[in-house]
Parts: sequence; structure tokens; C-alpha cells
Amino acid sequence: MISAYLDELAGTLAFDRALSRCVVQEVEDHLREAIAADPAPDRLEAERRAIRNFGEPRRLAAQFAVVSLARRTRRLGIAVALAIVAVLVAMKARVAWYAALQWSMSEDARPLAAIVLRVDRLAFWLAVLVGIAALLHVGRRRIPGAAGPQYRKRLRRARLLCACAAASLTVSVVSDGVLTVLQLGAGLDAASAVPLVSMAIEIACAGAVIVLILDAARRAGAIEALLNIGRQTSAA
Amino acid sequence: MEGEMLKGHLDMIVLAALAAGPAHGYAVIEEIRRRSGQAFDLPEGTIYPALHRLELAGLLSSRWVTAESGRRRRVYALTRQGNRALAERRAVWRQFSDAIGGLLEGARPSGKPA
Repeated sequence: MISAYLDELAGTLAFDRALSRCVVQEVEDHLREAIAADPAPDRLEAERRAIRNFGEPRRLAAQFAVVSLARRTRRLGIAVALAIVAVLVAMKARVAWYAALQWSMSEDARPLAAIVLRVDRLAFWLAVLVGIAALLHVGRRRIPGAAGPQYRKRLRRARLLCACAAASLTVSVVSDGVLTVLQLGAGLDAASAVPLVSMAIEIACAGAVIVLILDAARRAGAIEALLNIGRQTSAA
Repeated sequence: MEGEMLKGHLDMIVLAALAAGPAHGYAVIEEIRRRSGQAFDLPEGTIYPALHRLELAGLLSSRWVTAESGRRRRVYALTRQGNRALAERRAVWRQFSDAIGGLLEGARPSGKPA
């Protein structure tokens, strides 16, 4: 009976595997302890009582869902901030390398580079501003006990801001890529390694953030569905 | 006691139960029952989301230990921030309780309408 209950709980928490594993282990310990402390001679009855006292899995999962949503949104905000910092460092390292080697761009490429540079700067600083707004939005704010639609709306807004920051960062990285191609020109040599590696770092950062955002959106969808079912069950 | 009334104060109740020292979920529930004279009989499952939420807020920390039974068990403890939060909530609660007490004790039926 306990195993069936734990399986059901794990199933409802499937939107967050790590949380599911941790919660199931905690709940199992709790139920075994409650059964051991139950004076009833009938073990089956003690198991039934322990499960009844613990509560319905779907309702519990709905309460954990908000915690999971908040934790993941916070991590997403931090990941976006770290990606922005990493892109900035890679960008600065590349520019410093060009300066150290006195590596100038060909005259033909300059007019296009000037336009792309403007787009790059604009996109990057937009990513910084929106990223800061996302972090402030989710911050270290305490999750309310009864995290209702208002709080979930706040988390949704934070995720949207993260997505906007990631989109701006992607534009900036693409612009950096164009600038790097223009800078390197036709020939590649040993000195090109630094710009190429720095570009690879930027692309990896932007890619990782996009993957995280898509994953957050998928999980948020599953959680919202669970919370809506929970609300309908409560209303019924 | 009314479940909804308890839920509104769940965080404070959990923090207060952990003020005595680190404990796992089951022990927290037992402590709440014992210290409330069995008046607070919450659905046991509601404690765990609260513990996770308080940990995310930095008010609790947790670590996994192996119990005598050999089972893995998560033990929660108040952080410094949690101790501060509990002290603040205690002060607010006392103020609120005194005010409500005064209000209720002062309410005497008067013979005629004001």
C-alpha cells in the first residue's frame, strides 16, 4: 500500500525528477515512522491511517509544484545573469587580443562592422537591463504559504523577462559572430584561436540559456496544468 | 482548530517547532502536536512543502542523515536568518494577540445601542 502511494506521489511530481526523488524518500521515511508509532495491532490498518493522515498525493504535489516553479525560475534568472557576464568577459578578451596584436579590420568591412557593432551594443545592454529586471522580479522574495495566481503570475513574468534577456543576448552573440568573421577576414592562423574560442564560449552560453528557457517553459506548462487540476478538484 | 487558520500561520509554527533544535519532518509534526497540547493537528503532508519553501527562502537548512533504522532521513535546522525571522514573527504575534485579547475582553454587551 505504501509503495503504491509513493508511486502515485512520484508520478504527480514527474515535472521535477530531482524533487520527486527527494520528496518520495522523505515521505517514505515519514510513513514508516508513523506506522511504527501506531499502536494498532493490524499493520494494514496502520498503513491506511498513515496514508490518510498524510493527505492526497495530487494536493501535495500541487503545493510542491509552486516551490519547484519558484526554485527553477530563480535558477533561470541566475543562469541568464551568469551567461551575460560570461559573454561580456569573452567579448572583452577578444577585443583585448585584437588590441594586443594590433589586429585591424580591412577597410571594406568597416561600414558593415559599424552597423553590426551598434546592433551588438544595443542588444547586449538590453539583455543586461532586462536580465537585471528578471533577477529583481524573482529575487530572494519569500514564497507565500498559499501561493495563489498572483504569485504564479509574478513567476511567469520573471520567466518572460528571462526569455527576453536571452533573446537579446542571442542577437548580441550573433552580432559578435558577424564581427569576428569580418575581423578575421579570409585567413585563419594560430592567432585566430583566441577569437574562435571566445566565440565558442559565447555561443555555448547563449545556447545553454535557450535550452534552460525551453525546459523551464515545458515544466511550467506541466505545473500549471497540475495546479489547475488541483484548483478544479478543490472547487468540486 | 480551524485548518485554514492554521495554514495562515504554518511558517511561523514550523519555525517555532524547529527552535528547539534540528529535526526531520515527522519529528517536527510531533513537536507541533506536543507543544500545542494536540490542538494543532495538521494534515501531515502539508508540513513538507512548507519545509521546502522555508529552505528555499533561506530560513532553514537541511542535510541527509542515516537513521538508526537504516533509512535516509532529511533533517532540517533553523538558519541564522530563520532565527531572526522567528523572533520578528514572535514579536508581531504577541502584539497582535495582545490587541485582539484587549478587544475581545473589552467587548461587553451594552444595554442600549450607541
